[in-house]
Amino acid sequence: MDLLHFARGPGLKIAIAVFCLGVTWRIVSFALLRIRREYSRPRESMFRYLLSGMITVGSRSWPHREFIGRTGAGEALGYSYHLGLFAVVLLFTPHILFLESLFGFSWPGLPSSLITIISVLTLTLFLAVLFRRVTNRVMRLLSNFDDYFSWFITMLVMVTGLAATAHVGGPYERLLALHILSVDVLLMWFPFGKLMHAFYIFPSRAINGALLARKGATS
Amino acid sequence: MSRLSDIAVRIEGPVRLGGLGRGVAAVLSELVGILERVALGGETATIDLRSLPMSPDDRIELQSTLGKGEVHATLHADGVSTLQETGVSGVWWVEHRDRHGDLVAELIEVTVIPKILEASTEDMAMSACELRTRLATTHKAQAGMDHATLS
Amino acid sequence: MQRSAEDLVVGEMLRRHGISRRGFIKFCTAAASAMALPPWMGPAMAQQLQNAQRPSVIYLSFQECTGCFESFTRSFAPTMESLIFNVISLDYDDTLMAAAGDAAESALAKAMRDSFGKYVLIIDGSVPTGAGGGYCTAGGKSAVDTLREAAKGAAAIICVGTCSSFGGIPFADPNPTDAWPVSSIVSDKPIINVSGCPPIPEVITGTLLQYVTTGKVPDLDEHLRPKAFFGTTIHDRCYRRPFYDQGKFAKTFDDEGARNGWCLYELGCKGPTTYNACATTKWNGGTSFPIESGHGCIGCSEPGFWDKGSLYSPLSATDWGKAGESSPRQVLELAAGGILAGGVLGVASAGSGRLRQYRSEHPLDPEPKDS
Repeated sequence: MDLLHFARGPGLKIAIAVFCLGVTWRIVSFALLRIRREYSRPRESMFRYLLSGMITVGSRSWPHREFIGRTGAGEALGYSYHLGLFAVVLLFTPHILFLESLFGFSWPGLPSSLITIISVLTLTLFLAVLFRRVTNRVMRLLSNFDDYFSWFITMLVMVTGLAATAHVGGPYERLLALHILSVDVLLMWFPFGKLMHAFYIFPSRAINGALLARKGATS
Repeated sequence: MSRLSDIAVRIEGPVRLGGLGRGVAAVLSELVGILERVALGGETATIDLRSLPMSPDDRIELQSTLGKGEVHATLHADGVSTLQETGVSGVWWVEHRDRHGDLVAELIEVTVIPKILEASTEDMAMSACELRTRLATTHKAQAGMDHATLS
Repeated sequence: MQRSAEDLVVGEMLRRHGISRRGFIKFCTAAASAMALPPWMGPAMAQQLQNAQRPSVIYLSFQECTGCFESFTRSFAPTMESLIFNVISLDYDDTLMAAAGDAAESALAKAMRDSFGKYVLIIDGSVPTGAGGGYCTAGGKSAVDTLREAAKGAAAIICVGTCSSFGGIPFADPNPTDAWPVSSIVSDKPIINVSGCPPIPEVITGTLLQYVTTGKVPDLDEHLRPKAFFGTTIHDRCYRRPFYDQGKFAKTFDDEGARNGWCLYELGCKGPTTYNACATTKWNGGTSFPIESGHGCIGCSEPGFWDKGSLYSPLSATDWGKAGESSPRQVLELAAGGILAGGVLGVASAGSGRLRQYRSEHPLDPEPKDS
């Protein structure tokens, strides 16, 4: 069995199974935990404070005015590369076809040359992000293996994807195999590192917002 | 029911074949190099036009750029081949066709004269034998006739 | 097709057929061009062959559909007839030869004996090994045995077609005859795989001509295919590549995109992972090739191409492996299984988490004081 065959066949199957297992495990394991009973009187009706929780998911998406000066650049950088990643993953025709084969529906994609431009821009932003993490003293202090490896594996997926589309760096099947293999590794790593923020941010902000609203505070 | 020929096929935009868009300039500069080398007594060379991904337009442009020279040779051997010296001295445009008239090879030869036009010494040796035999038979026949006339 | 008693050299054969020296140079030049060899090789091949004995070629067909042989007969340059009459001595071929039965079998035995160690063995069709080799027999002998015997005296083996190169259709899941490619059965002779279903005619004749004129096995890739023809993918040389790069794909056959000649990726074209000469050498003397005619490449020169899912599912969405080994359905089933297992683990983790929460709120009775 050659590399591409493995990556696209057993490799992908194992990766998706591990991904689903891991994500479910982590979500269920915190979802079923008990929230400490609040003994204070609720300041709002339950409906209102649950609604507030939902709103918090959105309102936490951008820093408060006071902090924009210090964190605005980092936030913008982060959003930009997230948008870039989503665009490339969800709007590139071969990816759309793959997802269609799994889920049965498709959607229109962007011209491939535009996707290439977006990929290159996202790659540049990624490098900028690493530079910031390494040069900023506080960030360097706080960074651990999770931070660097999550960055590395996402970067690898992008680089191998670009190489495969551009047919640069070896025979096409090998580039494609490396791309799919790196996706496999990403999927397996996903549930066990910081990438879980993709799932966590929603309940995390919602619960915080709801609890604070119950206490009569806005956030 | 529509036929194959009814299905319109349009290729949008200029199609760059194999990345050699301006193939003509590339061939010409290669020819310059070869000519200079051959002029100094170096090795002759041949360019197979089939190996260059040139569009039909490029090919026509190349042919008209090179032009026509003084010598045109037609070779009748297992089909017709034409060897045209181009306006560039020593550059020959060679087209080989098989007996059905299909183009089987198209080459540009940079040489004093394409080798295929030369007679081979082995063939000449054989021809000499055949000619000698023919002469001998003719002489014998002539001698026989003379003898008959005399007597 | 028997070798003549005088064992004429090629040059003499040509003269007897009224082909002059110049005519032969032309033939070799055309062949070199068709094989994408450097132009100087044409006259060099002619020179080499002029004074050479015509090499003996034995063509054996096993579990095949004869499509590869049919393709061979349709070669434009060099034509098969010109090859047979001028360059090679085709001493055995069961499709072409007039003889049959014992006469044919004794012709084969004689050819193998007379040219032992020197003949070129051409094989098409896969070799079934099931039922003691009984799924393919000729003259009471199984294909496996015939192959092993013929291989002993061969100078080289050229496998024509995907069946003899990689197993092809018979090898596809579930492979009921237990068919194998030639390279799995013979390992001590140089093998050249000319794969394709069928291979392009000029690729077959070109490879054969190249071998008999040079006497050397050409540069081969990791699947033993001549790099001259199998060195690049269809995608690398496809004239529709600009459309792929721009993301302009035909969605169905005969839609607007298809009529405009757009890329056929979404219609299942396997061009990016298929190595062959279709996009450059093309078919029918350079007339066209599947993509130019509007149908995606099916990847017929690659190993296992019959087991790679539908011919019409796009490369990024197709099955890989034996039937259903990694179909989308299977993947989703595994995902569901993962979710279930994850749920169980999650409940267990949550359970242990809750226990810790409880313990932290209701600490156990303090340790009794040490006496």
